[in-house]
Amino acid sequence: MDKKILFGRMRRSYFFMIGITGILIIFALCYLLPVLIEWDPVATSIVNRFIPPEYFQDGLRGHVFGTDHLGRDVLIRLLIGGQYSFRLAFVVVVLQMSIGTVMGIVSGYAGGWVDVLIMRICDTMLSIPGLVLAIAVMAILGASTLNLILVMTISGWVQLCKVTRNNVRVVKQQEFVFASKGLGANTWRTMFIEIFPNVTTNILILGSQRIGMTIIMESSLSYLNLGIQAPAPSWGNMISTGRQFLVTQPWLILAPGFFLMLSVLSFNFLGDGLRDVLDTKRRV
Amino acid sequence: MVSYLIKRLLQAIVVMFAVTVISFTLVRMAPGSPALLMLPLDVATQEQIEALEEKMGLNKPIPEQFWIYLTGLFKGDFGMSTVYQQPVLPIIISRMPNTVRLAIGTVLLAVILAVPLGIFAGAHRGKVAELVCMVFALLGQSMSSMWLGILLIYLFAVHLGWLPALGTGGIEYMILPVLTMGYPMAASLTRVARSGMVDTLSEDYITAIYAKGIRKFEVYTKYALRNALIPVSTMIGLTLGLNLGGAVVVEAVFSWSGIGQLINQSVNSRDYAMVQAMLLISAFLITIITFVVDLINSFIDPRLTLN
Repeated sequence: MDKKILFGRMRRSYFFMIGITGILIIFALCYLLPVLIEWDPVATSIVNRFIPPEYFQDGLRGHVFGTDHLGRDVLIRLLIGGQYSFRLAFVVVVLQMSIGTVMGIVSGYAGGWVDVLIMRICDTMLSIPGLVLAIAVMAILGASTLNLILVMTISGWVQLCKVTRNNVRVVKQQEFVFASKGLGANTWRTMFIEIFPNVTTNILILGSQRIGMTIIMESSLSYLNLGIQAPAPSWGNMISTGRQFLVTQPWLILAPGFFLMLSVLSFNFLGDGLRDVLDTKRRV
Repeated sequence: MVSYLIKRLLQAIVVMFAVTVISFTLVRMAPGSPALLMLPLDVATQEQIEALEEKMGLNKPIPEQFWIYLTGLFKGDFGMSTVYQQPVLPIIISRMPNTVRLAIGTVLLAVILAVPLGIFAGAHRGKVAELVCMVFALLGQSMSSMWLGILLIYLFAVHLGWLPALGTGGIEYMILPVLTMGYPMAASLTRVARSGMVDTLSEDYITAIYAKGIRKFEVYTKYALRNALIPVSTMIGLTLGLNLGGAVVVEAVFSWSGIGQLINQSVNSRDYAMVQAMLLISAFLITIITFVVDLINSFIDPRLTLN
């Protein structure tokens, strides 16, 4: 696709522009702002417990969003927690996309018993609720970052695989595939060099939506103390702490919850925007 | 039709078998002997472990162990809870009605909200109405249920004092959890209903009906609605499964004593037999729900049975 047309479409899609702007702002906050804040995300200070939000009275030197029950600055924990969430979500979604795409292409292209096998694996994964599987695995194997990545990857690649497979089944009937085979392309070349570029649209759209879902799942696991482990900050465990002090110190849940919602919302907007931008057939 | 149903039934059986294999392996993937997992942490003596290994048949070859496990499941033996010192199945079943109650409320709320909204949005493509519905949907998909739940508690229980914050009970206890689970579900159903409507309206038979001079309203309600709702009923089945996962978080937030809360408690008290059984049972339930949904869909639209 021509770059000029692509950028033009991006500019015209409100959803895409809102999404990408939101993501850039949140990224800038999470990765640049901590440099300017002198508080430590994990060091506790009992004298400074439960300081209510001071907003920008003192600039960044005060506790902008207050402090928690251990006297830690909420803002810096929020930003560092965001970094963890994004890093995890990206690793997980890239893994999901890789597995989903490869399995989907193989399943759709090969057909026959390979297809049946992969589809039954997908059905099996779909029949186990992702969060229940994640809880069981994290509880039995122990909560660690590696296990977290593992469970979130295995519970999320299925949708990508199914969509890719259905796409491939359509694409492989097209003439250029026969032409390339006629020119002597082997199976691997046909699958990954000829067919793959034609199925990337849906993978990208689904991938950007999966980032939002993965962030929510990670925060849910962290809320249940099965995800990112304290004292490392994460939005989930900050909300879980804030829950205990809801009546007297509501700021403890408001800030992380709001950040969580805004980031997921941005990625969902981006996903819908990408559909407008990339999916030419659906345009009015 | 019959051959389609038989095929779907066989697929469902294969899936259930695979889930059984997964839950069997999961406990054996854990570090240490599975017997260790079944005993209270750190207090078991070597003799107790060996006695339990003997009792659980862990000294037998793996395929034989699996056979014992599988045949046990058919007899309703899903394992023994280490915390309650009772078979897990009756405990899970006793918690089930509370979760089912929430699930029914959630589905009702979601359908009542989502179907009119989605259909309306799909029928008004490119208008402000569509944008409003889509923003409603996107917002719902972006709220994590624990945050939404806690916000609702803060607003309606702490601030306004209208509803109880926590606990299991009648209607007044159900409202907040149902809202918490219902809004995200309504959000995804709205999107599905909208795209179902858009796809249906672009079909030739709709154009033909228009050409006959039938009123727009009647075309929507009488001719398009039925086909537009097929993806919705599929989605309801799928999200019922997601709800089981979501119930874990929501029940934890509201201290609702259903099976979601039971999973939490079992994880915290390291009651792995319970966790394992729960994994299995939720997967079985979802497989059955999906099967029933496919059955219903094949009645709504018999073309679906034609591979």
